[in-house]
Amino acid sequence: MIENRPWLTLVSHLSLLFGIALVALPVWVALVASTHPTEAFGSGQIPLWFGDQLSENWGQVLFSSAGNGIDVPVWLMMLNSLIMALGITIGKIAISIISAYAIVFFRFPLRGLAFWVIFITLMLPVEVRIVPTYEVVANLELLNSYSGLVLPLIASATATFLFRQCFMTVPGELVEAARIDGAGPIRFFFDILLPLSRTNIAALFVIMFIYGWNQYLWPLIVTTDDAYYTLVMSIKRMLSVEQGDVQWNQVMVTTLLAMLPPVAVVVGMQKLFVKGLVDAEK
Amino acid sequence: MSDVVLKNLGKTYPNGYQAIPGVDLTIEEGEFIVLVGPSGCGKSTLLRMVAGLESITQGELSIKGSRVNEKEPAERDIAMVFQNYALYPHMTVAVNMAYGLKNRGVPKDEIATKVNGVATMLGLNELLERKPKQLSGGQRQRVAMGRAMVRDPKVFLFDEPLSNLDAKLRVQMRVEIRELQRKLGTTTLYVTHDQVEAMTLADRLVVLNKGKAEQIGSPMALYEKPATTFVATFIGSPAMNLVPAHAGHGELCLAPALRLFNPYEYEGSVLLGIRPEHIQLCSEAEADLSMHVRAVESLGAETLIHGILVADEQHQTPIVVRLAGIHYPEIGGRLWLQLPNQHWHLFDQTSQQRVN
Ligand SMILES: Nc1ncnc2c1ncn2[C@@H]1O[C@H](COP(=O)(O)OP(=O)(O)OP(=O)(O)O)[C@@H](O)[C@H]1O
Ligand SMILES: [Mg+2]
Repeated sequence: MIENRPWLTLVSHLSLLFGIALVALPVWVALVASTHPTEAFGSGQIPLWFGDQLSENWGQVLFSSAGNGIDVPVWLMMLNSLIMALGITIGKIAISIISAYAIVFFRFPLRGLAFWVIFITLMLPVEVRIVPTYEVVANLELLNSYSGLVLPLIASATATFLFRQCFMTVPGELVEAARIDGAGPIRFFFDILLPLSRTNIAALFVIMFIYGWNQYLWPLIVTTDDAYYTLVMSIKRMLSVEQGDVQWNQVMVTTLLAMLPPVAVVVGMQKLFVKGLVDAEK
Repeated sequence: MSDVVLKNLGKTYPNGYQAIPGVDLTIEEGEFIVLVGPSGCGKSTLLRMVAGLESITQGELSIKGSRVNEKEPAERDIAMVFQNYALYPHMTVAVNMAYGLKNRGVPKDEIATKVNGVATMLGLNELLERKPKQLSGGQRQRVAMGRAMVRDPKVFLFDEPLSNLDAKLRVQMRVEIRELQRKLGTTTLYVTHDQVEAMTLADRLVVLNKGKAEQIGSPMALYEKPATTFVATFIGSPAMNLVPAHAGHGELCLAPALRLFNPYEYEGSVLLGIRPEHIQLCSEAEADLSMHVRAVESLGAETLIHGILVADEQHQTPIVVRLAGIHYPEIGGRLWLQLPNQHWHLFDQTSQQRVN
């Protein structure tokens, strides 16, 4: 569609620019604040241009300690977050792809029931089952450990459902051709099904990674040891210091660092992600 | 030695539907057998039972002398070509063809030689590195055949492999399949509902009706001596004309006033079958009977005349006449016909079985 209405173009561009400004301004403020000394932010007027403390603030927060009552450096918390996010993502994908495989391609008793039980867990996110789950994790002595952070979040009805839909579009003839070609269940899974769902896996990876990275409540509950703090929850801790003022510049550095990995994943996997959501290769 | 033996092979689906009540068939080595029949008659079911994709619920299937009822498809040494090709979309043509061999643990260099050999035979050399998506329908069909051929199986199974191709390509592939099969000498079981395909490809035809083999025989045998009215009307196009009549005393009585000399000995109610191409035009004096012309289809090489038999008023028996060349009969007019009795097929009206 080609239109030539200069006013419309101008107005739509302006509103887009306004939207961008609205989203980008807080990020900008955070970035600027991270380069000033602490007092600059607390003094009442918000600086809009870079200060001179960039390397000091960032260096300190990243490598020595995050400040505001947290003794470990941010790189360690980033590592924790990364381990948790990747653990959740990979675990979710692995488990749900296997259960979808079982549900779609194998005939076993109570198959329908199995599917619906998985489906019903959609109604039970961690927030709902947090007390019993905590109890279980505590009894298994998984508090303050990576397994404790990851395992309770792995089960995923959404991903199972998505893979089920994806597998159901695989033509029956293809499955039969593979059977005649001598591919057993394992070979079929790895040689045919996995490559065919490549784009779906990528799309889920992006969604699940962000979900895992942004986990807040669960890490807050199962970790009491600084060494297992994740980045996102640490921000909240940093804001509730007991004595003295909040060190805003350090908080801002941490915030910015917390935003980076999800952005990187989205940008890096954009192509596959879109492909996974819109087209089927089969 | 007979290659594939079906002994009272039957199938009842888990929902209780009996798709195949029981089929007996002995296939000789190198034979090209075509299963033909109307939609839903159980052709695919029978083929898939031979392939091992559908469980056998009755009878016995043996390939090369050993019972294979319980064997997995991969252990039966068969290869199948599917209607929608079923190529692995993420693999190149070469990998598609090699996959079955790889799973059987054939060494790499041997796989390469075999794939190249078959690719040359099918003219696929240029396409080996392409994905199925980048091929035309005909090329995909060829790759699917190549995938079946590289394994050098004992039996080829085809399930309507040409039905997704356009008419011209279908003719070409048909000829090609026949040639390849002759060259390789592999026993073949081929399913189709297209009777031209069936007639031209088959050494022997199996006409299936509701899961039962109505008749098994060479295409010409089925054309010349159909055993039942079902086979009579299924083989040949346009279908054989069937006219109700009464036979007895050396006469065939089509209507009270319409009696023909009947050389065949049979008494009772019959259906007189005669193929459209065996009916001849003649003068009123020589005529056996006449028809009212309803419609004319001119194809250049031949003309099909559709009409109603002039016999008695109650029974409006439709009749089709096929004449060579171009004719312009008048619509609504009357044509005089001769039915040479050496081309008669007489069927009992109740049992529908052939009686002459
Ligand atoms: N899984 C099944 N469960 C129950 N009935 C089935 C099943 N598959 C096929 N049938 C029935 O068995 C009969 C034979 O089916 P089949 O697919 O063999 O027909 P076909 O001769 O191949 O037909 P077409 O020419 O349309 O492919 C049909 O009446 C069909 O409804
Ligand atoms: Mg079929």
